[in-house]
Amino acid sequence: MYKWYAFKRILRGVFMFALLMCLFSLLFNQVNEQTQRSQINEQVKMESMKLRNMRSEQLTAWRDNRLDQLTKLYKLDRPLAERVLFRALNTITFRFGKSTIIKSSKGDQDVLTILLEALPRTMVLFSVAIVFELILGIWLGLKKAQKPGGRLDKSTSFVTMIIYGMPSWWLGMMLILLFVYVLKLFPSGGVNSVPTPQGFAFVLDRLWHMALPIMTLVILGFWSLAFVIRNLVLGILQEDYIMSARARGVPERKVLFGHTLRTAAPPIVTMALLSLLASLSGAIIFEGIFSWPGLGNLYWVAVQQNDIPVLMGDLAITTGVYQAGLVFLDLIYGFLDPRIKVGGKA
Amino acid sequence: MSMKDFTYRLGEFWADFRKETSGLIGLGILALCVVVVLLEPVFLPYKDIDGNWRDITYWEDNPPAAPPAWTNLFAKEKSATTIRFESPSVSDEEDPEYGPVRVFTFKYPYKFDKSPLDIIMRAKGTGMLFMNISMERPDGNSVFLGQVYQDGLVGDQIRFAVDTDARGSVYEFIRDHASEEAISQSDSSNVKPTEIIFAQTGEKMLSERIPLKGDYLYKIKIPASLFEDGSNSIEDVRLVVTGRVSGVLGTDTSKRDIYSGIIAGLKWALFIGLITSIISVLVGVMYGIICAYFGGATDTIMSFIFEVFVSMPMLPILIVLSAIFKPSIWIIIGSMIAFYWVGPVKTVRSMALQIKEETYIEAAKALGSSKWRIIFKHMAPLLLPYSFANMALSVPGAIVAESSLSLLGLGDPTIISWGQILHDAQLSGATLNGLWWWIVPPGLFIAVMGMTFAFLGFAMDKILHPKLRTR
Repeated sequence: MYKWYAFKRILRGVFMFALLMCLFSLLFNQVNEQTQRSQINEQVKMESMKLRNMRSEQLTAWRDNRLDQLTKLYKLDRPLAERVLFRALNTITFRFGKSTIIKSSKGDQDVLTILLEALPRTMVLFSVAIVFELILGIWLGLKKAQKPGGRLDKSTSFVTMIIYGMPSWWLGMMLILLFVYVLKLFPSGGVNSVPTPQGFAFVLDRLWHMALPIMTLVILGFWSLAFVIRNLVLGILQEDYIMSARARGVPERKVLFGHTLRTAAPPIVTMALLSLLASLSGAIIFEGIFSWPGLGNLYWVAVQQNDIPVLMGDLAITTGVYQAGLVFLDLIYGFLDPRIKVGGKA
Repeated sequence: MSMKDFTYRLGEFWADFRKETSGLIGLGILALCVVVVLLEPVFLPYKDIDGNWRDITYWEDNPPAAPPAWTNLFAKEKSATTIRFESPSVSDEEDPEYGPVRVFTFKYPYKFDKSPLDIIMRAKGTGMLFMNISMERPDGNSVFLGQVYQDGLVGDQIRFAVDTDARGSVYEFIRDHASEEAISQSDSSNVKPTEIIFAQTGEKMLSERIPLKGDYLYKIKIPASLFEDGSNSIEDVRLVVTGRVSGVLGTDTSKRDIYSGIIAGLKWALFIGLITSIISVLVGVMYGIICAYFGGATDTIMSFIFEVFVSMPMLPILIVLSAIFKPSIWIIIGSMIAFYWVGPVKTVRSMALQIKEETYIEAAKALGSSKWRIIFKHMAPLLLPYSFANMALSVPGAIVAESSLSLLGLGDPTIISWGQILHDAQLSGATLNGLWWWIVPPGLFIAVMGMTFAFLGFAMDKILHPKLRTR
C-alpha cells in the first residue's frame, strides 16, 4: 500500500516539475532565445575564423548556411509553442547547454557540470545545520513543554518573536563582523583555505570554514522549531494515553521520548524539512555573504555576470531540489504515520 | 455584520489585546514608525533626500565613511563632528589691508582633540565677486586661507574648501611659526590644512599636534566698494565643518548620511510589507472560501493551481524575474503577492468546509441568498479575523524578500530601501573594513520591523485563534 502511495506521490512530483519547467520556459522565452542567438553567432564567428583559402562571397555563403543550420538545430525557426516545449524538454532532461561566462573549477563551460559542482556544497551546509537545529529544537521544545508558561518557556518564546523577521544573511554579516573582524577566530568566507591542505587537515579546514555559516543558521533556526515542537508536544501531553502511561508508572523520560515524541514525529519531521526547504530558498543571499560557492552563490555570480544559461539552470535545479524535498516530505510523513501506510486518510 | 456589531467586536478584541504585553510593545513600535513616516521632514536632516540619494554631488560636503557622532562618548580623543552654519553675522569694517570691507563671520567653537577634515564655504553669487577668506584663531593668530575672484556670476554656486583650496596659504602659516629644521624635514603634500589650523603653533607644530581649543572666527571679507554696484551680490552664505564623525549613524564611503537613508527607507519598508501582506492574505482567504464553497470541479482546478504555486521556490524565481525584467517596485510587490497569497489558503479552505455545513448557511440558502452573499456576508466575516494575525505575520517575510532582492542589487533604483543600503555596504566590503555603522542599522531595522509584526501577529493569533472563536 505504501509503495503505491509513494509511487503516486513521486509521479505527481515529476509531473509538477515538468509543468513548472514549461512555465519557466514560456516566461523566460525571449531572453533565452536572445542568449541562444548570440551564442550561435559567436560559434559561427569562431568557426569561420578557422577557415582558410576561401573567397569572401564563399565565406558569406558558408556563414549563412551554418547560421541556418544551427538555427534549425536549436529549432529557432519553429513556432513559439514548439520552441517553448523544446526548451522545456531540454531543461527537464538536464541539458542546460553552455554558459556564457562562468566556468567550473576545471574550466568547463557546461552548465550542468557547474551546477553539480555547487549542489553538494549547499547540501552539506544545510544538512549539517538542520541536524543541529533538530537536536537543539527538540531539546528546547521538550523543556518548554514540560513547564508551559514557566520562565524558560516565556523567555524563549519572547526570543522566538524577536528574531522572527531577522534576515539570516544580516545575522551572518554581524557574525562576520564579530568573529572575523573583532575576534579574528574564523575565516570570512569560502570553503577552504588557499593553499588547500591535504588529508585530515583538509577536513579540519573545511569544518573551520563551515563553522560560521552553520552557527548563523542554527542560531536563527532552532527557536522557531522549538516553539512548534512545544505546541505539538503540549497538545499530546494532554491526551489520555499519556495520563494512563504516567498512571501506570512509566518513567517520565520514557513518556516524553517514547510515547510523546513518537506521536509528534510526523509533524516534527514535516516542520523540520519545511524549514530546511525554506532556508534553502533563502540560501541564495546567505551563501553570497559567506562566499560559500554553492547553488545560492551561483545565483549571485550569474546575476552579476548576466550569465543567463547558468541562471536558468540554477533555477531549474533549485526548483527540482525543492520539488524533491516536498515529495520526500510526504513520503517520510507517510512512512511515519501509520494511517497513511495502510491507505486510510490522515 | 452591522457597524454596531463591528465596534462591539473590536472593543472585545481590544479588551483581550490589552493584556498581551508583547502585543502592546509591537503596537507601540508600529505607532512610532507611523509617526516617523508622517512627520518625515522633521526627522530628516537632508530634506530632499528622495531624489538625491544616488547623486554624488549632493553629498560632497560630507566626510566619507565617518563613524556616528556619538562614538565620541566612548573615544579617548574626541573627534570633530560635522556642523552646519546657516547665517553668518554681517558687519561693515575698516580693514587695515583692504580698506572698507563687508565681513561675513562664522563663529566655530572648537572643543575637540582631532581636527575636522575640511571646512567648506558655500554661497550664491551674482555679478563680480572678490573675497578674502581668513580664520582668526583663539590665540590671536590669523590664518589667511585664500582669495576667491569670480566674474559673470548669475546666481552660481561658489564653493571654497579649505582642504583643497587653502593648501598653499596654510603652508605659509607654517613657515611663519615652525622651525626651519622641521619644515625642511616635512613634506608639504602630507600636511592637512585643517590639522594645522586647529593646532597650537610652535617649533614642533608639524610633528606633534596639540589641539588649540576655543572659538574660531571664519571671516569672509568683501570690499565694500563692490556692493556699490547693485548688480553684484552675495547671498545664502553657508559654512560646513566636515567632521571626522558625522550624524546620528555616520556616513558611507560615498559620503551619504546613513541616518537619512534609514528614515527615508522606513516608509518603503512599511509600505512594501503592509501592502503585500494585506492584499495577498485577502486574496488567499477569498480563494480558500471560494474553493470550499463551490466544491466539485472548481475546487479541483483551484486546488491544482494552488499546488502549482506552492511548489515554486519563491526567492529564486523572484531573483531570476528581477534579474531579467529589471522591474519597478510595483511589479516587485505584485510578484511577491503572486507568491504570498498561498499562505492562508489551506487553513481557510478546511475551516470554510466546516462552516459551509453549518445550519445558518443552510437557512440562508433556503431564504434564497445568492452564493456571493453567503460568501461575503456569512463566511468571510467569520474567517477574516483569523487572517488579521496572518497578515501581521506575513509582513516581515515581504520586507525581508524585498531587502534580499535589493541586497543582490536587483531592487528598484528610484527608491531608497534598507536592502539597497546593505547592497552598497556589501559592494564596498563594509563588513571586512569594519564599517559597522553601515551594516548594523539597516539590518537591525529590518529585524525590528520583523519583531514588531511578530509581536502583533502572535498576540492577535492568541486572541483570534480559530479554535477558540469558531466552535
